[in-house]
Amino acid sequence: MNKKTKAILLNLFAVIFLFLTVVILMSTGVLNNYLSNILITVLITIIMTTSLNVTTGLLGQLALGHAGFMAIGGYTSAILTKIVLADLGFSFGLSLPISLIAGGLVAALFGMLIGIPALRLEGDYLAIITLGFGEIIRVVIENMEITGGAAGLTRITRMSRAFSEDRLTSSIVQFAIVFWITVLIIASIFTLGRSRHGRAIISIRENAIAAEATGIPTTRYKLLAFTIAAFFAGIAGGLFAHQTSILDAKAFGFNKSIEYLVMVVLGGMGSITGSIIASFVLVSLPEMLRGLAEYRLVIYSLLLIIMMLFRPSGLLGTAEFSLLTTWEALERFFARIFKREAVTRMPFQPRYDVWEGKPVLETHNLGISFGGLKAAQNINIRLMNNEIVGLIGPNGAGKTTVFNLLTGVYIPTEGDVVLLGKPIQGKITHEIAQNGISRTFQNIRLFRSMSALDNIKVAFHSRMKYSPMSGILRNAQCLSEERGIDIRARELLRVFQMENDADTIAGSLPYGKQRKLEICRALASNPKVLLLDEPAAGMNPSETAELMNTIKLIRDQFSVAILLIEHDMKLVMGICERIYVLNYGQIIAHGKPEEIRSNPEVIAAYLGQEQTAQTEVNQHA
Amino acid sequence: MTLFFNQLINGLHVGFIYALIALGYTMVYGIVKLINFAHGDIIMIGAYTAVITLVSLGWSTPLSLLAAIVVCVVFGITIERVAYKPLRSSPRISSLITAIGVSMLLQNTALLVFGAASRPFPTIFNIEPVRFADLQISFVTLLTIVVSIALMVLLQTFVKTSKAGKAMRAVSEDYNTALLMGINVNNTITLTFAIGCALAGIGAYLYIMAYPAISPTMGSLPGLKAFIAAVLGGIGIIPGAMLGGILLGVAESMTKAYISTQLSDAVVYGILIVVLLFKPAGLLGKATREKV
Repeated sequence: MNKKTKAILLNLFAVIFLFLTVVILMSTGVLNNYLSNILITVLITIIMTTSLNVTTGLLGQLALGHAGFMAIGGYTSAILTKIVLADLGFSFGLSLPISLIAGGLVAALFGMLIGIPALRLEGDYLAIITLGFGEIIRVVIENMEITGGAAGLTRITRMSRAFSEDRLTSSIVQFAIVFWITVLIIASIFTLGRSRHGRAIISIRENAIAAEATGIPTTRYKLLAFTIAAFFAGIAGGLFAHQTSILDAKAFGFNKSIEYLVMVVLGGMGSITGSIIASFVLVSLPEMLRGLAEYRLVIYSLLLIIMMLFRPSGLLGTAEFSLLTTWEALERFFARIFKREAVTRMPFQPRYDVWEGKPVLETHNLGISFGGLKAAQNINIRLMNNEIVGLIGPNGAGKTTVFNLLTGVYIPTEGDVVLLGKPIQGKITHEIAQNGISRTFQNIRLFRSMSALDNIKVAFHSRMKYSPMSGILRNAQCLSEERGIDIRARELLRVFQMENDADTIAGSLPYGKQRKLEICRALASNPKVLLLDEPAAGMNPSETAELMNTIKLIRDQFSVAILLIEHDMKLVMGICERIYVLNYGQIIAHGKPEEIRSNPEVIAAYLGQEQTAQTEVNQHA
Repeated sequence: MTLFFNQLINGLHVGFIYALIALGYTMVYGIVKLINFAHGDIIMIGAYTAVITLVSLGWSTPLSLLAAIVVCVVFGITIERVAYKPLRSSPRISSLITAIGVSMLLQNTALLVFGAASRPFPTIFNIEPVRFADLQISFVTLLTIVVSIALMVLLQTFVKTSKAGKAMRAVSEDYNTALLMGINVNNTITLTFAIGCALAGIGAYLYIMAYPAISPTMGSLPGLKAFIAAVLGGIGIIPGAMLGGILLGVAESMTKAYISTQLSDAVVYGILIVVLLFKPAGLLGKATREKV
């Protein structure tokens, strides 16, 4: 038995032990009805906070309407068991699971409907719009007939009564149901967080622009995270309805959403275990302070302020209590038992395909105007396979604008772009990235709090096929693909002599390595065209020399055309085979380095005066 | 038609109060990018100060108004210095949560001190309403509108022309550069909170003249509405807060009259959502795009 198998058995034992202890305490009467009811509330709260953590922690978007989804789930599920399924003659044991899932699905549907418009906004504005939707949900429920209007929905079947004549037995069944649903949801969020989908979601939090440029469909993933969170909140709502037997829309207002958010933040945004601990403490603490009923909320709010002042990142920050490693070991253990040893599947072969002699990228009269200002016009660029081409020009000439046009960050107002013989204008950034153009940024945009290896893995995203569901279940397809990209990602790091930095957090790498990692990530999406935006900016001469070697290495090892924006003339003249010169948004010269060096127009653009310019540029070169 | 104009006037009345409170939200957001959730509870503090000084201590109206303003300002400054200042460099959500904490603390302390029952506020001005044909405009409504407009003009002039106003705009543009230019950033931020809270003090007085019931949680609703008004107009923009407040007030009172009292909140939020979807930075806001 290896170390990991031991660890997972230990954890599995812990969960079962916890479960059995509570069951025994309940049956011996140590945990009376009051206490076990609080325990159920704690569990439901845990579902709410861990699911909210998917939007707030993993995706990094502030949502203030989470309780609204709980309300939708709760009402849906209660109406189903109370009215619809009871009429059909279903027993409660059968109608409860149906209604819970239905509650989750309806909440997810609303999550999606609300998310489609709302997720166009970001930050505080998203927070406000979710607040608005949450309140609308509440007001609408209060004004509907089927939901019991402002008086609320009463006499919903109680889980603590319905399962058996004996109240204690029924309470224990209730605990078992809520406990295992909670465990299941937490495990799903964990495994999802570790899958390619989880990485995609986290990469949006880290740097949305870079995520899009590495081929992540950011809008779709924001929506996915939002919908999943709503689904789980809906299930929590269903459980809540059948715990309390009364639903009152007022209870799901803004304050409730805030309460859950506070727990997530106190536990540490992005830390699932943090949310669990915070839920437990913050639900049971007010109960413990019940003796001091009057001072309860004063103490609670003071604690909140003090906590924020002294530990603003929350209890656990983004760190995780190590349930996860145990989960992975658990499935390996089971894989062994069931002889379901997953094969390693390489998600793709590095593409060394032929595109010889033909241009990989061509633009025809490409241009864009902002209002009346023509930031770029008549741009005709042609890149052949395995070429290193420079794009130079004085500051403000429009070089980065050209990159933004090529990658779909700006939509061209005229002309077109042809990649590998196919027109790509009008496509969104992530589609262009998947079609074969990747880029680096002038100011480094890494996924800073992810490891170097994970940064690369995000770029492999579109090359994997497994669904979010298989990510949650960690089935054979997921495991084999994950193992495959792990190998590929490490290979790629090795090419750049960065294999020892694989597990280092990207933000803590030295500057030169961050630049290299960004290039590495751009290559991971297997591009035919690599756009480098001032890769040597901020580098000293020896780092620049190393960069030159790296770029040559890329050309030799990967079948890729490189377009390079750079101000360092030594670098440009040293490695570029051809150079385009841009000024005032137009190409003013094009040719071999030596031609460019002596081109009077270029010199005039850079220095204004011809005589001094000649010597100046020669010295640079 | 009479109903329409009456509702319009009611809407303007409450709208101008929202606008005054919204100014506090917008100025604070503009300068420290913080949604100051405790701002609504400053209204509550102002209201209690007003009723205590006026009724219990028997002070004159101007004196009790002054007391309300001073107490609000003192609370505002203290909250800023103690709770928000240490968090200026932390993630924004930390200060947001702290603001929520402060709001809860104020409400619950008030609950402890004053009890949950609401206290009435006496009618101060026994002046006949002004009449135009069928229309009646109460004196309080007129006063509210006049005072609010005067304060907004004053504020706008102050921010645009005075040295301190320029410093405020500089800090809100770029905190660090303002620091390098020799602006005392701390004092500027404190001044912003002070002005916002002074306006809240006056807003509180006007609010309880219109809705004379004072309770520990009374600040939440006008606070939330004013905040929405600020966002509607474009948060961080002073004329935006006024526009948002007035729009919100009128929309609310029209919904109550013509659609449904219960749904008026839903309509308010609906307007907010529609505006944000089409003008993501609010009515007067300019959408900024991150430079790549």
